[in-house]
Amino acid sequence: MSDRAFKGSAKAASADAKIAIRQLSKSYDLGHDQVKALETFDLSIHDGEFVCFLGPSGCGKTTLLRMLAGLETPSQGEIVVRRQTQDRPLTSMIFQETSIFPWMRVRDNVAFGLRIRGVPRLEQQTAVQHFLDLCGLGQFADAYPHQLSGGMKQRVSVARAFANDPEILLMDEPFAALDEQTKITLQQELLRLWNETRKTVVFITHSIDEALVLADRVIVMSGRPGRPIADIAVTFPRPRLVHELKAEPEFGRQWHQIWSLLGSQPQALPEKVK
Amino acid sequence: MVEPTNELRILPKASHEPGWRRVVQSHAVMAVASPLLALILWEIAGRLGWIDQRFFPTPSSIIRELLDLISSGELVVHLGWTLQRVTVGFFLGAVPAILLGLVMGLSPTLTAIFRPIIAAIYPIPKIALFPLIMLMFGLGETSKWVIVGIAVFFQVFFSTLAGVANIDRIYLDVARNFGASRWQAYRMIAMPAALPFIFTGCQLGIGMALIVVVVAEQFGTKTGLGYLIWRSWQVFEVRDMFVGLMMVAILGYGIQLAMGALEGWLICWKPHAKTKSLL
Repeated sequence: MSDRAFKGSAKAASADAKIAIRQLSKSYDLGHDQVKALETFDLSIHDGEFVCFLGPSGCGKTTLLRMLAGLETPSQGEIVVRRQTQDRPLTSMIFQETSIFPWMRVRDNVAFGLRIRGVPRLEQQTAVQHFLDLCGLGQFADAYPHQLSGGMKQRVSVARAFANDPEILLMDEPFAALDEQTKITLQQELLRLWNETRKTVVFITHSIDEALVLADRVIVMSGRPGRPIADIAVTFPRPRLVHELKAEPEFGRQWHQIWSLLGSQPQALPEKVK
Repeated sequence: MVEPTNELRILPKASHEPGWRRVVQSHAVMAVASPLLALILWEIAGRLGWIDQRFFPTPSSIIRELLDLISSGELVVHLGWTLQRVTVGFFLGAVPAILLGLVMGLSPTLTAIFRPIIAAIYPIPKIALFPLIMLMFGLGETSKWVIVGIAVFFQVFFSTLAGVANIDRIYLDVARNFGASRWQAYRMIAMPAALPFIFTGCQLGIGMALIVVVVAEQFGTKTGLGYLIWRSWQVFEVRDMFVGLMMVAILGYGIQLAMGALEGWLICWKPHAKTKSLL
């Protein structure tokens, strides 16, 4: 295990990174006050890496993800994302709450990204069918979302993002609202899907278990204003089985290590700056 | 005889009531019976002279008049003209209202520019604009289409605006993250998401259209249910007036039913969309 404390040095953002975060910070205006969501930090994420950001609520991890998704802009600093090709979308986001469109059938929801890009219809159908089958949605292709359970809706959301074939997948606590069994099933399926595609994944979670099960690398965040306080390598061999992993002594050791790191942080309080 | 015991028995609901009683008590029967009963009372009261037949001719005489107007073909002509004016006026008002509502709903800039103007015109009773409309467009059909269109426009516009304002932000975030163009966002997100609100606006708009068309048909025309009603006032033919009123009611109700069916079909993605109805 090569755990290294995170110093936030400029070295951390190397030149060949897939995602290079440099001197990034983000504040929000709340009337007369400004609330700092993210403290200035540097970080790089490499191509094909599965990275989990782990932290207490309010630590700005969702803000970071939304900036990567192009939904928000930094207050200071920059994020440089290295594109492989112009033919594929750069990012697709899987949101925490239900974000699939209730007025589209499951099939059309999964095809959404491809339709937006004007992919030929036949190609769309092949890709959609592939990911419907992979996500266990084959039977529900013509259903409307209101006919599905919460777990099935998140599967549609996952299928929609994968079918869009982006270079980077962004996931904002996609399984947080699900019951434990469904959550573990979907984590397992995500691992399988990821094994096939080996995309760069940035995954936000507040669950230590989830981070250790999924990631190559866990970035532990401080409370607000958020900044990385530790960068932990997770080296369990792949393919991984979620239920087996939890029985490993090393899993328990790392769980405890991260818990101590989080526990050393003061609870998130809004910090006012001028 | 039932002996007192310590048992509580939960049993199927006993149905000792005779069959005829259950039929009378069913809601469907009540819904049909109550207006029929009212008509019978009206008929009796009219024949016995309890109410003034000059204002309230008996239902039987109204129905005779209705059948006369149908067989002479006059009623169909009036109905057709009114339907035509409502339909043309409706589309004239609803189409720009939906487009403008969608565009403004997603653009704070356009909202800032247009909203005060539209909000200022909105409280004016639309029919009060009719003299001005007639000055501009003459006494013919155009002025009637325009006044109906204006009445429909406001209902549909504000409903569409509310519909777009109520779109869950996350759907627009998804569209943005997936790189949807403005046009794609309108067509694939804003329009379907706001559709339930737009439908409600259209139903309110139809109601307004009927009010306005009946008044507008007072002027510069010899056709339409509104004309029928105003003429019967002038010649004191009260039975014709009741026929006209009845036809407006039937027309309005028929359009609402048709729109309800269309809504249930178009918004099948929304659970229980069909149960929503103004009546």
